[in-house]
Amino acid sequence: MTATAGRQSADDPRVTLDEQVGVFEPVPPYPPRTEREAEFYTLGDGEMFINMGPQHPSTHGVLRVVLKLDGEKVVDLDPVLGYLHRGVEKLCENADYHQTISQVDPLEYVSSLFNEWSPVMAYEKLLDVEVPRRAEYIRVLSGELNRIASHALFMGWMALDLGGLTPILWSFIERDEIVEMLAALTGQRMLFNYFRIGGVNGDLNHDFMSRLGDWMTRAAEQIDASLGLLNSNEIFVRRMRDLGTIDSQTALRMCMTGPNLRATGLPFDIRRAHPYSIYPELDFDIPTRNEGDCLARYLLRIDEIKQSLRIIDQCLHRMPDGPIIAKLPRLLRPRPGRAYAAVEGPRGQYSVYAISDGTDQPFRLRIHDPSFIHLQSVGLLMPGHLIADTMAVMASLDPIMGGVDK
Amino acid sequence: MAMVTRTWNRLTIPGRVVLALLLLGALLTVGLIALIILGPAILGILGANLPVVRFVVAATVVLLMTIPTAFLIIYMEMKIIALMNLRIGPDRVGPFGSLLSVVHGLKVLMKEDFTPTGADSTVFTLAPVVTYLGSVMTLLVIPFAPGLFGQDMNIGLLYFFAMGGLAVVGLLMAGWASFNKYSLLGGLRAAAQIISYEVPLLLSVVGLLILAGTMSLNQLVLNQAGWFTDWYIWQQPLGFAVFFIAATAEANRTPFDLTEADSEIVAGFATEYSGMRFGFFFFAEYVNVFIVSALTVTLFFGGWNAPFPFPDINLAADPASLGLGLLILVMVVPVVGTLVLAAPFYLARSSMPAWQALVIGFVLFNIVAVAAVLGWAFVSLEWVAGLLWFMMKTYGFVFLFVWMRGTLPRVRIDQLMGFAWKWLLPASLLNLFVTAAAVIVIREMGA
Repeated sequence: MTATAGRQSADDPRVTLDEQVGVFEPVPPYPPRTEREAEFYTLGDGEMFINMGPQHPSTHGVLRVVLKLDGEKVVDLDPVLGYLHRGVEKLCENADYHQTISQVDPLEYVSSLFNEWSPVMAYEKLLDVEVPRRAEYIRVLSGELNRIASHALFMGWMALDLGGLTPILWSFIERDEIVEMLAALTGQRMLFNYFRIGGVNGDLNHDFMSRLGDWMTRAAEQIDASLGLLNSNEIFVRRMRDLGTIDSQTALRMCMTGPNLRATGLPFDIRRAHPYSIYPELDFDIPTRNEGDCLARYLLRIDEIKQSLRIIDQCLHRMPDGPIIAKLPRLLRPRPGRAYAAVEGPRGQYSVYAISDGTDQPFRLRIHDPSFIHLQSVGLLMPGHLIADTMAVMASLDPIMGGVDK
Repeated sequence: MAMVTRTWNRLTIPGRVVLALLLLGALLTVGLIALIILGPAILGILGANLPVVRFVVAATVVLLMTIPTAFLIIYMEMKIIALMNLRIGPDRVGPFGSLLSVVHGLKVLMKEDFTPTGADSTVFTLAPVVTYLGSVMTLLVIPFAPGLFGQDMNIGLLYFFAMGGLAVVGLLMAGWASFNKYSLLGGLRAAAQIISYEVPLLLSVVGLLILAGTMSLNQLVLNQAGWFTDWYIWQQPLGFAVFFIAATAEANRTPFDLTEADSEIVAGFATEYSGMRFGFFFFAEYVNVFIVSALTVTLFFGGWNAPFPFPDINLAADPASLGLGLLILVMVVPVVGTLVLAAPFYLARSSMPAWQALVIGFVLFNIVAVAAVLGWAFVSLEWVAGLLWFMMKTYGFVFLFVWMRGTLPRVRIDQLMGFAWKWLLPASLLNLFVTAAAVIVIREMGA
């Protein structure tokens, strides 16, 4: 940040920013570019700015939120993005179709399989490839496992942001079992790089199946037990209820999808609304809740974990034999055209719009990330609440900064 | 001066050590001679001002006592929360990692002590001192054991709350002087929270004071002697509940640790502190936990009283009356004890050399001897038994605080204030009125 001569600090009018006083100014060094910026960066009577992030303990990564406070009350807020921007979309334009799969992996890094799933589906549409049924079953099986891992981590984060120390470590136990399982299947713990155009990279193996079978026998009880510390906790429930309430119309207007939308009462789920893969054949419910507050978003994810367990069970029982990947040439040159594919990730609609110009590299790969979309409603939900609620609301929307900044 | 410096620089390191020791010896000799000459006069002055001497000694002892106490509680917290989190916790330094908190203490001593530009450096430096001393000085009136207390004041409880209330001034100073908005928010939260919770905290104890008729903590403990049914907890259950909740808030512990809520305002008032100045805040927090537990035990759980009338065993023997027997005891018993304890190892395991058996026997003898001395002290010295009972109960409550920290999330600031004014205050007033009415009714019926 370049200090202009004699500019006064918003913290203390006696301090000018030429003196190196170590003040990180929330106000940007340039004149306001929009009306909104001009309005936001003007302090009213008794108000102050506070910089939350990018190195704040609970902004889930490197998000900076400039809060305008009146005492403890948040008057307004302005999320500043881009601290984790890696230019993944541009990188994908300079990589061939197979390579893009590993490029999109670290976007939403707690649910990497869904990051791979939607571009892979889009490329399959471009190439008119028929995916073998066993590959589809393996995709659904591993995807639902990853959904449970992501939701389990969400529960822990939620509690940590409300000041509870223990649930995060308990939920990491759950996540770690799943992650070890997927590591046995894919070879990686976090960025799996498992899906391939036309199928998956490796078949089910003994290590994965034995871990999965072992875990499935106790998964439901174990998740219930580890959540008992929160679900029946008066402090937790009182802090979450009626906080950050959003109604279904506003949620639609803010382009919310996934659990955050279903918590307002709309049973919209891509797996049912625009069916893909083998989901039409599977028997599972779309849980909804009507309150639309943080507690509803939290409880809804518990219901989703139970539905995911049902799906995994069915996948294991119906798993067909056959090849796991379609036969495709090494170098892919899809016909020029456009394809759109959406999957229901743990955070909502994760979709990709791919444009091919006939070469072996995508001309454009537009990634629609639910974290980014959900983060924009923080500005709608927060004003009027307290600082402590910023964390709770943000955690309940479950944004992953890797996906927000791409 | 220059010559001294040059000579010192020319010395080797062992030479410097020897020279320093020689100087120290010379100083000690001079001091000893001075003491012999001035001794009677000094003793006279000290004897004439016994309360002052007692206060200085007690304050020093209490100050020194807080450091191992804080280390112990920090270790307990690390280990117990780790076990609750299904982690292992500290296990590297010392047996079961028990010295890790000592290492933490050394670490904060060695870290850079940083004052941010823009901070009000005087207030910034004073704040941890005020907080720490405010907490520690309350320990002066706590009766640890029969006859083991700093000062038995007739307004002991009032003094306790007054000194405890000083700590918040330190937090507010830290929050204001740090030139940081997170610190400011933390300091203001501390002020609002602690002042709000002082009210129910004090009122919850008033009922107990009506029953006891005294504010001297020592007298309060003496009133609760006998069976555990004589403890005030049974007469003042509501008072205890309000007191414990308010005391948790006073000590800034989970679920009321809003002043240093790490997920909201980073570290609250301590955000800009580093090194030993942060260490003082850190220590003060854990000393506070001990103090609050100690006061809870003193007021409601019989202090140093055993939960049942302890059988009066007196094994006290005058060593002087033994005469030659004492010499024999000191000379013979260790040797015989070592041999006796070593014998089974030597006889049972043919592969074990005699010296190994003797080492084992010696170690075992030491353990037995220490246990015997402690046991003797426990049954025959009243204050040892009292201290042990007191510490057992106090650390029971410390465990409770740690348990709450491991389990509960944090409340919100408006819930915190609402709870104090809407629930705790009426509850403590109700307790006060019911107690007062009951006391009057019982007195009238008795008369």
